Amino acid sequence: MLLLLPLCSWAQQNKLIVTPPEMITAKRGATVKQTLRVSVLPGLHVNSDKPKDEYLIPLKLTWTGGPLETKSVSYPKPEDIKVGGQELAVFTGSFGIETEFKVPENASAGTTNMTGKLRYQACNNEMCFRPASTEVKLPVSVE
Amino acid sequence: MRRLTLPAAIVLIAIGIFSFDSCTGSKSKAAGEASKAAEAARKPAPNFTLRDENGAAVSLADYKGKVVLLNFWATWCGPCQIEIPWFEQFEQQYKSQGFAVLGVSMDDDGWQAVKPFVVTHKVNYRILLGNDSIGQLYGGLDALPTSFIIDREGRLAYTHVGLAGKNEYLSEIQSLLASKAQSAASLGVAAAPALLVGAAE
Repeated sequence: MLLLLPLCSWAQQNKLIVTPPEMITAKRGATVKQTLRVSVLPGLHVNSDKPKDEYLIPLKLTWTGGPLETKSVSYPKPEDIKVGGQELAVFTGSFGIETEFKVPENASAGTTNMTGKLRYQACNNEMCFRPASTEVKLPVSVE
Repeated sequence: MRRLTLPAAIVLIAIGIFSFDSCTGSKSKAAGEASKAAEAARKPAPNFTLRDENGAAVSLADYKGKVVLLNFWATWCGPCQIEIPWFEQFEQQYKSQGFAVLGVSMDDDGWQAVKPFVVTHKVNYRILLGNDSIGQLYGGLDALPTSFIIDREGRLAYTHVGLAGKNEYLSEIQSLLASKAQSAASLGVAAAPALLVGAAE
């Protein structure tokens, strides 16, 4: 029981889990794609990248640092659900967010990290939890 | 010794799984969590002072003698949006009987986010801007909506964490309105220290 308490504390802060991505290896000038695996805790949903209501906070992956240039971020097709008469576009369970990167010609060779954050807002059918962000780290090897 | 170990481990794992599920806030039932305090066991609602959209300081103590539905909400909270039209109806229907709704927005973006929402949704009750201090005062407010129904003596009578039923609210409000107001001297809310937690925006 005591061993599970840290899990409980963790769960109160994180409503989704980002699987640590494997290292990507790319040559200068190349374009590479990487899919970030995300799992929303059972019973919860997060707003999609394009919520149907302007006040709802979208899921957003932002790469903030590292050697690669972000060309595009693609989200999966959302699930349409209805909660109390309100139509929502959400993500549940496990899904992937694909990022297309370009390796600059002048990138330094070697291993480093791309860093980013995933902002999300989780709810279940009765309540919502405060918007949160989780840090994302992607190991990169430039050849 | 070995005989006891296995059942004990199963019980511990089951309790652990139950606790973990509870703390994720995930539930499959249709309504949120509700609790009712027996009249004698009701505790004073913590007093606070927050600002409304005009910058006016509003204290819970200003509402002594009234039944108050204190609703913590946010513009980004879908279930909160479902309740708002009910609260507008309650405010209109019971205002003359000594009832008021106080909506405390927990939006981090402040009035910039809240004002347009209030206009769009034609909210007819008072909206205040909350912050972490009031959140702590009312138990953390990890999930929204969270609502408290406060009796005429300024005590917490009903608590709802998550979306509650309209009829449930209605019956609770009606039952508190039916009880007679006590003398101002016995108002717990007036005795509680005021905490100015309004964001100046």
